[in-house]
Amino acid sequence: MARIAKSTKSTNQLLIEQMMTKVATISQDIEQRGQSIFGQGNLLTIDEINDYSLEFLELFVLLLQAGEKVDRRSSEHKALRQFFSNFSQQIQIRGGNMEEFVRFIHFMQDVFLNNLEVDSSLDFQQTRAILLLLASVFNDIILDVFHVYLAEKERTIQAQQEELKHTSTPITEIWDGVLTLPIIGTLDSSRTMSVMENMLERIEKERAKVVVIDVTGVQAIDSQVSHHLIQMIRAVGLMGAKAILTGIRPEIARAITSLNIDLSLVSTRATLSEGLKEAFSLLGITVLAADVQRR
Amino acid sequence: MAILQGMHLTPIGDGNVLLEPTEALDPGEPDTYLVPLTGTLQQMRARRLLYDLKNVPVIDNLYYAWLESLASMCRISGIDMVLVNMRPATAYALALTMKDNPPFSCALDVNRARNLP
Repeated sequence: MARIAKSTKSTNQLLIEQMMTKVATISQDIEQRGQSIFGQGNLLTIDEINDYSLEFLELFVLLLQAGEKVDRRSSEHKALRQFFSNFSQQIQIRGGNMEEFVRFIHFMQDVFLNNLEVDSSLDFQQTRAILLLLASVFNDIILDVFHVYLAEKERTIQAQQEELKHTSTPITEIWDGVLTLPIIGTLDSSRTMSVMENMLERIEKERAKVVVIDVTGVQAIDSQVSHHLIQMIRAVGLMGAKAILTGIRPEIARAITSLNIDLSLVSTRATLSEGLKEAFSLLGITVLAADVQRR
Repeated sequence: MAILQGMHLTPIGDGNVLLEPTEALDPGEPDTYLVPLTGTLQQMRARRLLYDLKNVPVIDNLYYAWLESLASMCRISGIDMVLVNMRPATAYALALTMKDNPPFSCALDVNRARNLP
Protein backbone atom coordinates (compact mmCIF):
# COMPACT_ATOMS: atom_id res chain seq x y z
CA MET A 1 0.00 0.00 0.00
CA ALA A 2 2.77 2.34 0.93
CA ARG A 3 4.37 1.83 -2.48
CA ILE A 4 1.15 2.75 -4.33
CA ALA A 5 0.74 5.93 -2.26
CA LYS A 6 4.32 6.93 -2.99
CA SER A 7 3.98 6.58 -6.76
CA THR A 8 0.93 8.89 -6.96
CA LYS A 9 2.94 11.84 -5.71
CA SER A 10 4.36 14.20 -8.30
CA THR A 11 8.11 14.83 -8.59
CA ASN A 12 7.57 18.35 -7.29
CA GLN A 13 5.79 17.08 -4.19
CA LEU A 14 8.50 14.51 -3.54
CA LEU A 15 11.17 17.15 -3.75
CA ILE A 16 9.25 19.49 -1.45
CA GLU A 17 8.86 16.71 1.11
CA GLN A 18 12.55 15.98 0.84
CA MET A 19 13.43 19.61 1.40
CA MET A 20 11.03 20.06 4.29
CA THR A 21 12.53 17.21 6.29
CA LYS A 22 16.01 18.67 5.98
CA VAL A 23 15.42 22.33 5.30
CA ALA A 24 17.58 23.42 8.21
CA THR A 25 20.57 21.37 6.99
CA ILE A 26 20.11 22.49 3.38
CA SER A 27 19.87 26.14 4.39
CA GLN A 28 22.89 25.85 6.67
CA ASP A 29 24.99 24.11 3.99
CA ILE A 30 24.17 26.77 1.40
CA GLU A 31 24.88 29.61 3.83
CA GLN A 32 28.21 28.12 4.87
CA ARG A 33 29.31 27.67 1.29
CA GLY A 34 28.10 31.17 0.43
CA GLN A 35 30.13 32.61 3.28
CA SER A 36 33.28 30.78 2.23
CA ILE A 37 32.93 32.05 -1.37
CA PHE A 38 31.51 35.54 -1.02
CA GLY A 39 32.41 36.39 2.56
CA GLN A 40 36.17 36.13 2.16
CA GLY A 41 36.37 38.70 -0.62
CA ASN A 42 33.86 40.92 1.21
CA LEU A 43 31.54 40.62 -1.76
CA LEU A 44 28.54 40.02 0.47
CA THR A 45 27.93 40.44 4.19
CA ILE A 46 26.86 37.44 6.26
CA ASP A 47 23.34 38.90 6.50
CA GLU A 48 23.15 39.28 2.74
CA ILE A 49 24.32 35.71 2.21
CA ASN A 50 21.74 34.40 4.69
CA ASP A 51 19.00 36.50 3.08
CA TYR A 52 19.93 35.28 -0.40
CA SER A 53 19.99 31.65 0.76
CA LEU A 54 16.57 31.91 2.39
CA GLU A 55 15.08 33.77 -0.56
CA PHE A 56 16.39 31.11 -2.92
CA LEU A 57 14.80 28.30 -0.86
CA GLU A 58 11.51 30.19 -0.65
CA LEU A 59 11.39 30.85 -4.39
CA PHE A 60 12.38 27.27 -5.16
CA VAL A 61 9.60 25.88 -2.94
CA LEU A 62 7.10 28.30 -4.54
CA LEU A 63 8.14 27.02 -7.95
CA LEU A 64 7.65 23.42 -6.90
CA GLN A 65 4.29 24.22 -5.33
CA ALA A 66 3.03 26.04 -8.42
CA GLY A 67 1.98 22.84 -10.22
CA GLU A 68 2.65 19.19 -10.73
CA LYS A 69 5.30 19.99 -13.30
CA VAL A 70 7.68 22.89 -13.51
CA ASP A 71 6.33 25.37 -16.04
CA ARG A 72 9.07 27.51 -17.56
CA ARG A 73 6.59 30.23 -18.44
CA SER A 74 5.14 30.45 -14.93
CA SER A 75 5.65 33.57 -12.86
CA GLU A 76 7.33 31.46 -10.13
CA HIS A 77 9.92 30.21 -12.63
CA LYS A 78 10.50 33.75 -13.85
CA ALA A 79 10.84 34.98 -10.28
CA LEU A 80 13.51 32.38 -9.50
CA ARG A 81 15.46 33.24 -12.66
CA GLN A 82 15.12 36.94 -11.95
CA PHE A 83 16.43 36.34 -8.45
CA PHE A 84 19.58 34.72 -9.84
CA SER A 85 19.98 37.41 -12.50
CA ASN A 86 19.90 40.10 -9.82
CA PHE A 87 22.17 38.07 -7.56
CA SER A 88 24.79 37.56 -10.30
CA GLN A 89 24.55 41.22 -11.34
CA GLN A 90 25.31 42.28 -7.78
CA ILE A 91 28.27 39.90 -7.57
CA GLN A 92 29.60 41.24 -10.88
CA ILE A 93 29.17 44.88 -9.90
CA ARG A 94 31.11 44.20 -6.70
CA GLY A 95 33.94 42.66 -8.71
CA GLY A 96 33.12 39.02 -8.00
CA ASN A 97 34.27 36.07 -10.03
CA MET A 98 31.58 34.60 -12.25
CA GLU A 99 33.21 31.18 -12.19
CA GLU A 100 32.91 31.07 -8.41
CA PHE A 101 29.30 32.13 -8.67
CA VAL A 102 28.50 29.31 -11.10
CA ARG A 103 30.26 26.89 -8.75
CA PHE A 104 28.03 28.16 -5.96
CA ILE A 105 24.93 27.42 -8.06
CA HIS A 106 26.30 23.94 -8.74
CA PHE A 107 26.83 23.53 -5.03
CA MET A 108 23.17 24.41 -4.39
CA GLN A 109 22.19 21.67 -6.81
CA ASP A 110 24.63 19.27 -5.15
CA VAL A 111 23.02 19.88 -1.76
CA PHE A 112 19.73 18.53 -3.10
CA LEU A 113 21.48 15.63 -4.83
CA ASN A 114 23.27 14.66 -1.62
CA ASN A 115 19.93 14.58 0.16
CA LEU A 116 18.61 12.18 -2.46
CA GLU A 117 21.54 9.84 -1.82
CA VAL A 118 20.74 9.49 1.85
CA ASP A 119 16.99 9.04 1.28
CA SER A 120 16.42 5.32 0.71
CA SER A 121 12.62 5.64 0.57
CA LEU A 122 12.72 6.85 -3.05
CA ASP A 123 12.73 4.30 -5.85
CA PHE A 124 14.81 4.58 -9.01
CA GLN A 125 12.11 6.24 -11.12
CA GLN A 126 11.42 8.87 -8.50
CA THR A 127 15.11 9.59 -8.00
CA ARG A 128 15.56 9.87 -11.75
CA ALA A 129 12.60 12.25 -12.07
CA ILE A 130 13.95 14.46 -9.29
CA LEU A 131 17.40 14.48 -10.86
CA LEU A 132 15.97 15.54 -14.21
CA LEU A 133 13.90 18.25 -12.57
CA LEU A 134 16.89 19.64 -10.68
CA ALA A 135 19.07 19.51 -13.78
CA SER A 136 16.47 21.35 -15.85
CA VAL A 137 15.88 24.12 -13.28
CA PHE A 138 19.56 24.66 -12.46
CA ASN A 139 20.63 24.57 -16.12
CA ASP A 140 18.16 27.35 -16.86
CA ILE A 141 19.53 29.34 -13.94
CA ILE A 142 23.14 28.91 -15.09
CA LEU A 143 22.19 29.95 -18.62
CA ASP A 144 20.52 33.09 -17.28
CA VAL A 145 23.53 33.94 -15.17
CA PHE A 146 25.73 33.46 -18.21
CA HIS A 147 23.50 35.81 -20.26
CA VAL A 148 23.61 38.44 -17.53
CA TYR A 149 27.38 38.10 -17.40
CA LEU A 150 27.70 38.51 -21.18
CA ALA A 151 25.30 41.45 -21.29
CA GLU A 152 27.19 43.19 -18.48
CA LYS A 153 30.52 42.58 -20.26
CA GLU A 154 29.11 43.92 -23.52
CA ARG A 155 27.81 47.02 -21.75
CA THR A 156 31.26 47.57 -20.23
CA ILE A 157 33.02 47.13 -23.59
CA GLN A 158 30.58 49.52 -25.29
CA ALA A 159 31.03 52.12 -22.57
CA GLN A 160 34.81 51.80 -22.85
CA GLN A 161 34.63 52.13 -26.64
CA GLU A 162 32.49 55.26 -26.32
CA GLU A 163 34.90 56.75 -23.82
CA LEU A 164 37.87 55.87 -26.00
CA LYS A 165 36.17 57.47 -28.99
CA HIS A 166 35.83 60.75 -27.13
CA THR A 167 39.19 60.74 -25.39
CA SER A 168 41.17 59.68 -28.46
CA THR A 169 39.98 62.66 -30.50
CA PRO A 170 39.78 65.63 -28.17
CA ILE A 171 38.82 68.81 -29.99
CA THR A 172 40.37 71.77 -28.20
CA GLU A 173 40.08 75.48 -28.83
CA ILE A 174 43.68 76.55 -28.31
CA TRP A 175 43.15 80.13 -29.45
CA ASP A 176 40.14 82.25 -30.26
CA GLY A 177 38.85 80.76 -33.48
CA VAL A 178 41.48 78.00 -33.70
CA LEU A 179 40.55 74.37 -33.01
CA THR A 180 42.99 71.46 -32.87
CA LEU A 181 42.03 67.91 -33.59
CA PRO A 182 44.77 65.35 -32.91
CA ILE A 183 43.95 61.99 -34.46
CA ILE A 184 45.48 58.93 -32.84
CA GLY A 185 45.17 55.41 -34.22
CA THR A 186 43.18 54.66 -37.33
CA LEU A 187 40.25 56.44 -38.88
CA ASP A 188 37.46 54.00 -39.66
CA SER A 189 34.05 55.04 -40.95
CA SER A 190 32.30 55.04 -37.58
CA ARG A 191 35.08 57.06 -35.92
CA THR A 192 35.21 59.52 -38.83
CA MET A 193 31.48 60.08 -38.50
CA SER A 194 31.65 60.76 -34.79
CA VAL A 195 34.74 63.01 -35.10
CA MET A 196 33.22 64.95 -37.99
CA GLU A 197 29.95 65.46 -36.19
CA ASN A 198 31.68 66.78 -33.07
CA MET A 199 34.10 68.91 -35.06
CA LEU A 200 31.41 70.63 -37.18
CA GLU A 201 29.33 71.39 -34.13
CA ARG A 202 32.37 72.85 -32.40
CA ILE A 203 33.16 75.01 -35.45
CA GLU A 204 29.66 76.46 -35.24
CA LYS A 205 29.72 76.82 -31.45
CA GLU A 206 33.19 78.35 -31.15
CA ARG A 207 32.86 80.23 -34.44
CA ALA A 208 36.18 78.72 -35.43
CA LYS A 209 38.06 80.04 -38.44
CA VAL A 210 40.85 77.45 -38.55
CA VAL A 211 40.97 73.76 -37.67
CA VAL A 212 44.40 72.14 -37.29
CA ILE A 213 44.08 68.37 -37.88
CA ASP A 214 47.17 66.64 -36.52
CA VAL A 215 47.86 63.12 -37.78
CA THR A 216 51.14 62.55 -35.91
CA GLY A 217 49.45 59.68 -34.04
CA VAL A 218 48.19 57.96 -37.17
CA GLN A 219 50.27 54.84 -37.63
CA ALA A 220 49.21 53.85 -41.13
CA ILE A 221 47.20 55.34 -43.91
CA ASP A 222 45.31 53.55 -46.66
CA SER A 223 42.90 54.77 -49.32
CA GLN A 224 39.99 54.47 -46.90
CA VAL A 225 41.68 56.55 -44.19
CA SER A 226 42.80 59.21 -46.67
CA HIS A 227 39.30 59.32 -48.11
CA HIS A 228 37.97 59.99 -44.62
CA LEU A 229 40.58 62.70 -44.07
CA ILE A 230 39.56 64.42 -47.28
CA GLN A 231 35.90 64.22 -46.28
CA MET A 232 36.77 65.85 -42.98
CA ILE A 233 38.73 68.64 -44.64
CA ARG A 234 35.86 69.28 -47.09
CA ALA A 235 33.35 69.39 -44.26
CA VAL A 236 35.49 71.98 -42.45
CA GLY A 237 35.60 74.04 -45.64
CA LEU A 238 31.82 73.85 -46.05
CA MET A 239 31.43 75.36 -42.60
CA GLY A 240 33.54 78.28 -43.77
CA ALA A 241 36.65 77.34 -41.81
CA LYS A 242 40.11 76.51 -43.09
CA ALA A 243 41.65 73.10 -42.41
CA ILE A 244 45.39 72.64 -41.92
CA LEU A 245 46.77 69.11 -41.94
CA THR A 246 49.86 68.60 -39.78
CA GLY A 247 52.15 65.82 -38.62
CA ILE A 248 52.42 63.89 -41.87
CA ARG A 249 55.34 61.57 -41.18
CA PRO A 250 57.56 60.48 -44.10
CA GLU A 251 55.96 57.02 -44.23
CA ILE A 252 52.50 58.56 -44.36
CA ALA A 253 53.62 61.03 -47.05
CA ARG A 254 54.99 58.10 -49.07
CA ALA A 255 51.72 56.21 -48.69
CA ILE A 256 49.73 59.27 -49.80
CA THR A 257 51.82 59.66 -52.94
CA SER A 258 51.65 55.93 -53.69
CA LEU A 259 47.88 56.04 -53.40
CA ASN A 260 47.73 59.02 -55.83
CA ILE A 261 45.79 61.07 -53.33
CA ASP A 262 45.56 64.72 -54.30
CA LEU A 263 46.16 66.91 -51.28
CA SER A 264 47.24 69.90 -53.37
CA LEU A 265 44.30 71.99 -52.22
CA VAL A 266 44.92 71.12 -48.58
CA SER A 267 47.24 73.26 -46.53
CA THR A 268 49.80 70.92 -44.93
CA ARG A 269 52.56 71.52 -42.40
CA ALA A 270 55.17 69.18 -40.98
CA THR A 271 54.43 69.69 -37.31
CA LEU A 272 51.61 70.85 -35.11
CA SER A 273 53.58 73.96 -34.11
CA GLU A 274 54.08 74.86 -37.78
CA GLY A 275 50.36 74.35 -38.27
CA LEU A 276 49.62 76.71 -35.40
CA LYS A 277 51.93 79.35 -36.88
CA GLU A 278 50.04 79.01 -40.16
CA ALA A 279 46.73 79.34 -38.31
CA PHE A 280 47.94 82.51 -36.58
CA SER A 281 49.16 83.88 -39.88
CA LEU A 282 45.73 83.24 -41.43
CA LEU A 283 44.12 85.13 -38.57
CA GLY A 284 46.65 87.95 -38.85
CA ILE A 285 48.09 87.22 -35.41
CA THR A 286 51.78 87.63 -34.64
CA VAL A 287 53.17 85.98 -31.54
CA LEU A 288 56.20 87.77 -30.10
CA ALA A 289 58.44 86.96 -27.14
CA ALA A 290 57.69 89.16 -24.11
CA ASP A 291 61.09 90.95 -24.23
CA VAL A 292 60.61 91.77 -27.92
CA GLN A 293 57.22 93.25 -27.11
CA ARG A 294 58.72 95.47 -24.34
CA ARG A 295 61.28 96.89 -26.74
CA MET B 1 15.46 94.47 -52.26
CA ALA B 2 14.28 92.40 -55.20
CA ILE B 3 11.86 89.51 -55.11
CA LEU B 4 12.35 86.97 -57.84
CA GLN B 5 10.49 83.72 -58.24
CA GLY B 6 11.76 81.37 -55.46
CA MET B 7 14.12 83.83 -53.78
CA HIS B 8 14.71 87.21 -52.17
CA LEU B 9 17.71 89.33 -53.11
CA THR B 10 18.99 92.02 -50.76
CA PRO B 11 21.98 94.29 -51.48
CA ILE B 12 23.92 94.58 -48.22
CA GLY B 13 26.63 97.01 -49.29
CA ASP B 14 30.08 96.89 -50.88
CA GLY B 15 28.80 94.89 -53.84
CA ASN B 16 27.51 92.10 -51.61
CA VAL B 17 24.06 90.69 -52.35
CA LEU B 18 22.28 88.29 -50.03
CA LEU B 19 20.18 85.58 -51.67
CA GLU B 20 17.59 83.93 -49.45
CA PRO B 21 15.87 81.02 -51.20
CA THR B 22 12.20 80.55 -50.38
CA GLU B 23 10.20 77.36 -50.27
CA ALA B 24 8.98 78.10 -53.81
CA LEU B 25 12.45 77.49 -55.23
CA ASP B 26 12.56 74.36 -57.36
CA PRO B 27 16.21 73.31 -57.77
CA GLY B 28 15.17 70.89 -60.50
CA GLU B 29 14.38 73.85 -62.80
CA PRO B 30 17.56 75.97 -62.80
CA ASP B 31 16.78 77.50 -66.21
CA THR B 32 13.72 79.22 -64.73
CA TYR B 33 15.89 81.21 -62.32
CA LEU B 34 19.40 81.59 -63.71
CA VAL B 35 18.83 84.20 -66.42
CA PRO B 36 16.57 86.58 -64.45
CA LEU B 37 18.79 86.16 -61.39
CA THR B 38 21.99 86.97 -63.26
CA GLY B 39 20.29 89.98 -64.84
CA THR B 40 19.19 91.29 -61.44
CA LEU B 41 22.65 90.73 -59.93
CA GLN B 42 24.22 92.68 -62.78
CA GLN B 43 21.72 95.50 -62.30
CA MET B 44 22.64 95.55 -58.60
CA ARG B 45 26.35 95.69 -59.58
CA ALA B 46 26.97 92.66 -57.40
CA ARG B 47 30.54 91.52 -56.87
CA ARG B 48 29.71 88.82 -54.37
CA LEU B 49 26.60 86.67 -53.97
CA LEU B 50 25.94 85.39 -50.46
CA TYR B 51 23.67 82.36 -50.69
CA ASP B 52 21.94 81.88 -47.33
CA LEU B 53 21.45 78.23 -46.38
CA LYS B 54 19.86 78.96 -43.00
CA ASN B 55 16.56 77.45 -44.14
CA VAL B 56 18.05 74.67 -46.24
CA PRO B 57 18.35 71.58 -44.02
CA VAL B 58 19.44 69.15 -46.72
CA ILE B 59 21.57 69.53 -49.82
CA ASP B 60 20.87 66.53 -51.99
CA ASN B 61 22.32 65.85 -55.47
CA LEU B 62 19.61 67.92 -57.15
CA TYR B 63 20.15 70.92 -54.88
CA TYR B 64 23.92 70.61 -55.25
CA ALA B 65 23.57 70.60 -59.05
CA TRP B 66 21.53 73.82 -58.77
CA LEU B 67 24.26 75.41 -56.64
CA GLU B 68 26.90 74.33 -59.17
CA SER B 69 24.90 75.85 -62.05
CA LEU B 70 24.50 79.07 -60.11
CA ALA B 71 28.22 79.13 -59.27
CA SER B 72 29.10 78.75 -62.99
CA MET B 73 26.79 81.60 -63.93
CA CYS B 74 28.31 83.78 -61.21
CA ARG B 75 31.86 82.95 -62.33
CA ILE B 76 31.04 83.91 -65.95
CA SER B 77 29.52 87.14 -64.68
CA GLY B 78 32.54 87.95 -62.50
CA ILE B 79 30.67 87.44 -59.23
CA ASP B 80 32.05 85.41 -56.32
CA MET B 81 29.58 83.01 -54.81
CA VAL B 82 29.74 82.25 -51.09
CA LEU B 83 27.46 79.87 -49.20
CA VAL B 84 26.66 81.11 -45.71
CA ASN B 85 24.97 79.68 -42.63
CA MET B 86 25.38 76.05 -43.59
CA ARG B 87 24.26 73.85 -40.70
CA PRO B 88 26.75 71.30 -39.30
CA ALA B 89 24.48 68.38 -40.19
CA THR B 90 24.12 69.68 -43.77
CA ALA B 91 27.89 70.11 -44.13
CA TYR B 92 28.44 66.65 -42.73
CA ALA B 93 26.03 64.98 -45.16
CA LEU B 94 27.31 66.99 -48.12
CA ALA B 95 30.98 66.23 -47.38
CA LEU B 96 30.23 62.51 -47.50
CA THR B 97 28.69 62.71 -50.96
CA MET B 98 30.93 65.31 -52.65
CA LYS B 99 33.42 63.96 -55.17
CA ASP B 100 35.33 67.16 -55.96
CA ASN B 101 36.03 70.43 -54.29
CA PRO B 102 33.04 72.78 -54.52
CA PRO B 103 33.06 75.58 -57.11
CA PHE B 104 32.06 78.14 -54.47
CA SER B 105 33.41 79.48 -51.18
CA CYS B 106 31.76 79.01 -47.82
CA ALA B 107 31.54 81.20 -44.73
CA LEU B 108 30.13 80.62 -41.29
CA ASP B 109 27.79 83.62 -41.52
CA VAL B 110 27.04 86.78 -43.49
CA ASN B 111 29.57 88.93 -41.59
CA ARG B 112 32.39 86.50 -42.24
CA ALA B 113 31.43 86.31 -45.91
CA ARG B 114 31.48 90.09 -46.24
CA ASN B 115 35.01 90.17 -44.83
CA LEU B 116 36.38 87.51 -47.17
CA PRO B 117 39.31 88.81 -49.26
